Amino acid sequence: MHDAVLAGCRWLESTPWGVMVRDSTWMYPVMKWVHFAGLSVWLGASLTVDLRLIGVGERRQTAAELSNRLFAWSWIGFFVAFLGGFLLFSVEATTYVSNIGFRLKLAVLTPLALIWHVVVHKKARAWTQTEHTSAMGKWAGLIECLLWVSVVTASVGFLLTNVLTYP
Amino acid sequence: MWEGLQDAAWVTTLATTRWLYGLVLVVHYFALFCCVGTIVLLDLRILGVADRSLPLLPLAQQLRLWTWIGFGSAVVSGFLLFATKAGSYVEVTPFHVKMLIIVLAVASALAVEWSVPKWDRAGAIPVTATLLALISIVLWLGAILAAVEIPALTGLG
Repeated sequence: MHDAVLAGCRWLESTPWGVMVRDSTWMYPVMKWVHFAGLSVWLGASLTVDLRLIGVGERRQTAAELSNRLFAWSWIGFFVAFLGGFLLFSVEATTYVSNIGFRLKLAVLTPLALIWHVVVHKKARAWTQTEHTSAMGKWAGLIECLLWVSVVTASVGFLLTNVLTYP
Repeated sequence: MWEGLQDAAWVTTLATTRWLYGLVLVVHYFALFCCVGTIVLLDLRILGVADRSLPLLPLAQQLRLWTWIGFGSAVVSGFLLFATKAGSYVEVTPFHVKMLIIVLAVASALAVEWSVPKWDRAGAIPVTATLLALISIVLWLGAILAAVEIPALTGLG
């Protein structure tokens, strides 16, 4: 399994796009920008719903209403972030996968957070049947917030503990 | 003055304590995603790209608090990160550009916020609103672009 992952990473590094971003002087920071721009939209949309579920801040719209109107945007943001992240990863994939913080982020935390995001969207209406969000809904919102904090923490941990050629 | 800040005891502690520096970085990233994300979502709604059929004002009111909490936290954490290399940051042009863009971006965000109730009452979104929303998106995304170019151009960060 480990060998297969490493082989896959080496292949990614040798792909035309991996080579292109690595050899360019300007593409790497631009991909970082794409990654962060996408993340902003994704997190802005997701956290607004989560915080509304928790019950803090304004109460102009219900969590279900917010989830419905922002759900599509959270995914557009996610795919932009994914595209930028994928290209960054392709530049030096073998270095990335050798880091525990990155492995956690990619294999555990991000998939969990994504699944949780879909669960929150599906259940938001049920949790907000009455004027007050059910305890379950509040916990669900808090858990999604914490999952995203953990994703960012793993990323920063990875940035600080790894010697990337292209930081 | 900036070297003095950089050499202050609490700043050197921050710069050399990896978990503390990492914590401030996490706050900075998270806060800026929150700030820029909520601003861009509102701008997209004003531009009519996002959920045109749903009312503008409640969305603006719902997002506003998170925009400014995010902005405040990003400024505080950003200042702490800046302090660790203050002497170098103040000397490089990309950092100046980033600060200038952020000032302009804040002005555009405030202009949008002050005008939203008016635009909401008017029913149809006026041309000035479209223009302002567009400027706001360009400036906030421009701030992130300037930020990622600092390490690329100067090696700082």
